[in-house]
Amino acid sequence: MSLATVDYLILAIYFAFVLGIGWWVKRRVTSSAEFLTSHRSVPVWITSLAFLAANLGAQEVIGMCASGAKYGIMTAHFYWIGAVPAMLFVGVFMMPFYYGSKARSVPEYLKLRFDEKTRTLNAVTFAIMTLFSSGISMYALGILFQLVLGWQFTSSVLLSAAIVLIYTYLGGLTSAIYNEVLQFFLIVLGFAPLAIIAVMKAGGWEGMASRLEPVMTHSWKYIGSASTNPMGVEWFGLVAGLGFVLSFGYWCTDFLVVQRAMAANSMSAARRTPLIAAFPKMMMPFIVILPGIAALALTKAGTGYALPMKNGSYDYDQALMTLMKTYYPSGMLGVGLTALVASFMSGMAGNVTAFNAVFTYDIYGGHIRKNASDAHYLMVGRVTTVVGVALSVATAYLATYYNNINDLLQLIFGFVNAPLFATFLLGMFWRRTTGHGAFYGLMAGTSAAALTHGLTVAEGKGGWIASLQSFPSTMAQNFWIAIYAWSACFLVTLAVSMVTQKKDDAELRGLVYGLTEVPVEEVVWWKRPAPLAAIVGVALLVLNVIFW
Amino acid sequence: MDLRIPIGLFFTLVSVILFATAVLGDASGSTVNAYCATAMLAFGGVMLWLAKRRA
Repeated sequence: MSLATVDYLILAIYFAFVLGIGWWVKRRVTSSAEFLTSHRSVPVWITSLAFLAANLGAQEVIGMCASGAKYGIMTAHFYWIGAVPAMLFVGVFMMPFYYGSKARSVPEYLKLRFDEKTRTLNAVTFAIMTLFSSGISMYALGILFQLVLGWQFTSSVLLSAAIVLIYTYLGGLTSAIYNEVLQFFLIVLGFAPLAIIAVMKAGGWEGMASRLEPVMTHSWKYIGSASTNPMGVEWFGLVAGLGFVLSFGYWCTDFLVVQRAMAANSMSAARRTPLIAAFPKMMMPFIVILPGIAALALTKAGTGYALPMKNGSYDYDQALMTLMKTYYPSGMLGVGLTALVASFMSGMAGNVTAFNAVFTYDIYGGHIRKNASDAHYLMVGRVTTVVGVALSVATAYLATYYNNINDLLQLIFGFVNAPLFATFLLGMFWRRTTGHGAFYGLMAGTSAAALTHGLTVAEGKGGWIASLQSFPSTMAQNFWIAIYAWSACFLVTLAVSMVTQKKDDAELRGLVYGLTEVPVEEVVWWKRPAPLAAIVGVALLVLNVIFW
Repeated sequence: MDLRIPIGLFFTLVSVILFATAVLGDASGSTVNAYCATAMLAFGGVMLWLAKRRA
């Protein structure tokens, strides 16, 4: 694929705008709080779109399109079951504790609720996870540009990373959040036309359904048994593994997304952030998954488009780029490509700014140098930005070991986020939970994840201890790793908490359900969290019924 | 400055480039570029109008 001058021009204009926003925000950054937390000053419409865009990395866009071609509309479960319910839960139930506690990060909340060792464990595992996520996103972008555009892997990755570094270095979290809004709109307007064109060329939904196996166009109908769907998962693994543990573990405890809501300018705005974000999140499958399904339908129809082959089977990871190459003319090709770069940047900037805050506040400020001046922490935050980007580039090369980048991400989440959700669930809603319980629960959860991965095999992965069980897909394996990790953490936290000393109620005020006054919302009814969540819930139900 | 201003300006600028490409470029891609340019111009315009109304 070769690009025309106009395509490069659009990419250059985009770079100029993101750097310009970084430069514009720089004037506001005079303290570590402004650099690392936006000083809780961002309007709700911006935090909502940033909440969504920070998760909309290149691996999401490319990986979901690939999964659409591989698994069909069942992939939408990553949104409808695997995201939206958890977003409602964090907005309605958990945000009062996060925002009300005045913690600057999720690990800091753990310190207030439990103790220093629980905070440190979470801070260190989260820091490693964000670097991995960022590296995987970078790998996805670099390898695709190399394959399709013939660009050098290293130079395309370094150029994009350098732009992210400059604007996050200049304006910190606010710059990242503001750019995420521009990136979100660019992703939608850059990929939606492709979805429309691809589906129209494939004969609409009916045309696609007539060319594909029925399992590709139903989200629930073939999920009774793992052997009847291409994902290789059964309904319990999907609902418990993805819909409960992984989803709630990510959206309710991952500082990358929670940080966006915590930057909102009021408690009400913080609670509404994930609820408002749930509306566009529900619709994202139509932009990122439908083109993948259409790609497979077009391939089977023999209309001039064909998915590329790799080792005798379809190379699903190239679905998005090859569709763009086929159906976008010069001009829109530049917009589509820029949207892909934007998705990479939003994901990477999200990881870098979350890494910044956790390292500066929870690792450096918590252990290396306590009680330093604010100017010192601002300097550390800026230096951490540079280090975080450099480490992300390094981890990009580790991602080459996996052929489905989405599976690797889910595996990492299973190790870290899945047990963490059990800790938060008990910590926020059961005042008897202790610091020792939380710490040993987390250790047990991560150990259970490692043990499950070591004792089970799927698509040749895992089984490094023994092969006691075989899963039909790595996705099914990841769901069960998450279920075991969550269960181990939950049970161990429960057991240890029963035999260790709990904190006094006075220390838990503002941190635990029953000891925290949830503010009364002085806004019109449809802006209140519960009605908003109910509206989203009904819309979600309708979507699941339509695509049953 | 209102964030809607740079967003509105960006999409308006891109729409102008796409319109120019639709008119001056290869005829086979002009329809796609023209339709997308119209959508982006409308979106950019709305963003700028919202920012102006607030100011």
